[in-house]
Amino acid sequence: MSDNQFVDQLVVPGDVVLDLSSMANQTIKLGGGLRQESDAISVTKAGKLRLSKPNKYWVESSQKRYVPSVEDSVLGIVVDSRSDNFIVDIKGPAVAFLPVLAFEGGTRRNIPKFEVGALLYVRVVKANPGMNPELSCTDASGKAAEFGPLKDGYMFECSTGLSRMLLRSPPCPILEAFGKKISFEVAVGLNGRVWVNAASPSTVIIVANAIMRSESLSVAQQKIMVEKLLQNLNIST
Amino acid sequence: MEIDRIDGRTPNQLRPLTCSRNVLNRAHGSSSWSQGDTKVLAAVYGPKAGTKKNENPEKTCIEVIWKPKTGQTGKSEREYEMILKRTLQSICILTVNPNTTTLVIIQVVNDDGAVSFKVAICCGLAESGYVILDPAKLEEQKMKAFPYLVFPNSVLSVLPEGSPKVEGELMENGIITSVTQGAMAVDNYFHCLERGRAANEKMSAFLRRSLQPQLPG
Repeated sequence: MSDNQFVDQLVVPGDVVLDLSSMANQTIKLGGGLRQESDAISVTKAGKLRLSKPNKYWVESSQKRYVPSVEDSVLGIVVDSRSDNFIVDIKGPAVAFLPVLAFEGGTRRNIPKFEVGALLYVRVVKANPGMNPELSCTDASGKAAEFGPLKDGYMFECSTGLSRMLLRSPPCPILEAFGKKISFEVAVGLNGRVWVNAASPSTVIIVANAIMRSESLSVAQQKIMVEKLLQNLNIST
Repeated sequence: MEIDRIDGRTPNQLRPLTCSRNVLNRAHGSSSWSQGDTKVLAAVYGPKAGTKKNENPEKTCIEVIWKPKTGQTGKSEREYEMILKRTLQSICILTVNPNTTTLVIIQVVNDDGAVSFKVAICCGLAESGYVILDPAKLEEQKMKAFPYLVFPNSVLSVLPEGSPKVEGELMENGIITSVTQGAMAVDNYFHCLERGRAANEKMSAFLRRSLQPQLPG
């Protein structure tokens, strides 16, 4: 294929990466950052071009703002409530709607009450350009599955690239190393928000700071940093 | 026409370029760009929901604020803002996020000539590289006339015949914005265009290199 030289390479807006006139009968799926202009696929975001065989292309980049896409788990903050929707901010270009009945066993009689500023772990159900995204607090089969309000803990913002790194499998070294020694809860939203909760505030602070700092470190450096932090924690407790 | 420049540069030579991204904590995107002693800081916020009253809700509204190094904002700042806004509107694909507002703030940190358009904006929207002819402040004051020219980024293309063509002309040879001050002959203007285009290639290569160190993996 003619685009081999661009896959996994840095591409800049304006680059033409695929020539459709040379591939007549193939279906290609385009993800974020790519746009079709008549016969050519051109880049609209700076980042790395990625290919998932056989035919999915997208541009991977890390920003502070989030582009809503379906089936993403995100952390939203309630900004308003209407009779049939909660208005939730998910760091995207438009606020998102969370229907009042989109909870497990939700009926008109047991509508949850969220005050303004409540933090929710939700799933994006619809994300069409130009429309407000729609959210849900259940998974695809209707079960609650950890979605819903997050109580206590501490929420901080990070870039979308860091949230993707925290969610990948095998698990990222920071979470693995911390998980072996201390117990804590973490919720990662693909929109660049992370929530951490633990029994004592010092644990929460250590985990949160470590995650924030790990963005620019390599795997080995992350492990070294975690070991140092854990040593400090053991000395002080 | 060979001129001896004060700092010893040849007529075609640009000053050293530096660019760093993500310099501001709170801004959604930011970068600092310097060419010799001229330095500019740019911040981008958005896209945020909602547009202003008179703007088209089918498109993204781009607002530009230009802050000079000293003094109050006056007519020349408004002019820069308008030029930059028009340039960005013609570059960005405005229909991607309709009914949103993107705010661009330019702060001039140090002005040693050629300060306009010395902006490299990195954020989620579609942007391309900018270039201008590069006079230092003293040279600017002496010059009879100078144009500010904005060219499209040179693209890496897979198409066998090269870049897409618009009306028979290569799109790379097009020009996005041209603002001129002073009086010059038509031949001189075309001469400036050619020199600018040649410098554009170097700027584009620099832009690509500066975007290179991304997150590992």
